[in-house]
Amino acid sequence: MTSGGDTKIRVDGLEKRFGDRVVFSGVTFDVHEGEVVSIVGPSGCGKTTLLRCAVGLARPSGGEVRIGGETVVDPPEGVAMVFQHFGLFPWKTVTANIAYGLTVRGMAKREAAPKVAALIKLVGLEGFEKSYPYQLSGGMQQRAGLARALAIEPSVLVMDEPFAALDAQTRDVLQLELLRIWDTRQAAMMFVTHSIDEAVLMGDRIVILRGRPSSIFDIVDVGIPRPRDRSAVDSERFRVVRDYVWRAVMQDAELATAERPADTDAIRVTH
Amino acid sequence: MSKVVATLTDEVAPETRATAAQAADAEGSAARRILGSTGLRILAGVVLLAIWQFGVTLFAPAYIATPLNTVKRIPAVFADPAFGADVQTTLLAIIEGLAIAVVIGTLVGLVMGRLPDVNRVLGMYVGTFYAMPLIAVVPLLTVWFGYTPEARLAMVVLEAVLPIVYNVAEGARLVPTNFLDVTKIHHAPWWRVWGGVVLPNALPYVLAGLDLAIGRALIGAVVAEFVTAIPGLGYYLLFNVRSFHENEAMVALLVLVAFALVLRALINLAISRGFRWYRPA
Repeated sequence: MTSGGDTKIRVDGLEKRFGDRVVFSGVTFDVHEGEVVSIVGPSGCGKTTLLRCAVGLARPSGGEVRIGGETVVDPPEGVAMVFQHFGLFPWKTVTANIAYGLTVRGMAKREAAPKVAALIKLVGLEGFEKSYPYQLSGGMQQRAGLARALAIEPSVLVMDEPFAALDAQTRDVLQLELLRIWDTRQAAMMFVTHSIDEAVLMGDRIVILRGRPSSIFDIVDVGIPRPRDRSAVDSERFRVVRDYVWRAVMQDAELATAERPADTDAIRVTH
Repeated sequence: MSKVVATLTDEVAPETRATAAQAADAEGSAARRILGSTGLRILAGVVLLAIWQFGVTLFAPAYIATPLNTVKRIPAVFADPAFGADVQTTLLAIIEGLAIAVVIGTLVGLVMGRLPDVNRVLGMYVGTFYAMPLIAVVPLLTVWFGYTPEARLAMVVLEAVLPIVYNVAEGARLVPTNFLDVTKIHHAPWWRVWGGVVLPNALPYVLAGLDLAIGRALIGAVVAEFVTAIPGLGYYLLFNVRSFHENEAMVALLVLVAFALVLRALINLAISRGFRWYRPA
């Protein structure tokens, strides 16, 4: 197992029902401080609902989530979220959107301005400060969405298929950007995706959901050291992990957990 | 990583790229198309007016209005200070009524759109009022308000408020879940949720409702004047028709139409200028 840090998020026996339909049940896993946990599963398996329950945007039907030891009822302070469809306010400029979390917390404009400027630089949106979301490409909108999430210096960052609405090239670019940004600011992160490659590239561990109602099939250690870059996808370890996760998600009947790639010790070198 | 950064800046907003290329290409044909359709429109108008003009001169008594006589009367009617006063009182009543309707309609619409319980209670009544010919209410209004300008104002508000309520409720209902998630994650206070997210999201719908409300407001004002005989454009029109001054009545009608067109043009301008971000779902 990872030696990352203390447990930041504990998902404990989580269950969600809509009427009689059970979406998922018995979902239990931890996210440590500074760790990225990818959550994969076939579409419709409740990944997004799981994420919304985890941060207090939806009520679980059973079980609980603890963030920093506190049971989550409403979204706790220090949680930020990045959305598949960006969730930028179309009537606000890029700057105002990024500053939203700070403005709502009552931070003065003068105090927020340098922070926002730094974030705009970090995500590569210089020159678009006064643009409106509709004037930006999808990739640029998600950069703003990411900057808005980072603005509050979150201790928990949840991402709901953040790159799924983007074209393949933009997605590749933003994945690498996120890896780069991740090296400078760390939080406990839950990264929901239906892309298995993305799950392996981003995650320290991967939670695999499957079945109907879905439950955790397995939790895999990715075991690729950080900092990561594009070369990670060429490694043997990447291939092995991806292959296993792929077969697990595709409900390969003959797949046994015994075949899972061995956990590696040297997952992260420092911190 | 520097290579990555270079690719980033290449992500130009798609709209800018497309419009530049298309504009250069389509300029010639677009100009021709606009000229052609404008020409046809004018031609159709001239033909209709000519049919009216000749139809009346050939087959109808002399007091029936014709386009030419109406135009001839315009200077005289406009020079009449009584007409000016009538125009002023009616148009001001319509503007006042629309303003009241926008405020009430927006508030009611926002609440109905966001709170399903309120919608369950009020929705049926709003729907009923929308289906009802409100003209039938005017006699009641004259009982409640007397034969006064207030009765006219009440009628204008009643007519105008319903399409605004409907549209705003729709706009408030369609606030994307993501937007509300953002407000919850950041613990935005209620006034920031309503004023900063629900209202801005519904603003294009306020204007769309107002656009529909203009025609109804005009009907309300004119009908109220017909019934109550209080001074105004509607009563001017009725009085002149009844005293066989049909051409004068037509001038009053033209003023009403021009007023409605100007208001609607202003609103459409506001939508296209002020709400560039708005993309219907």
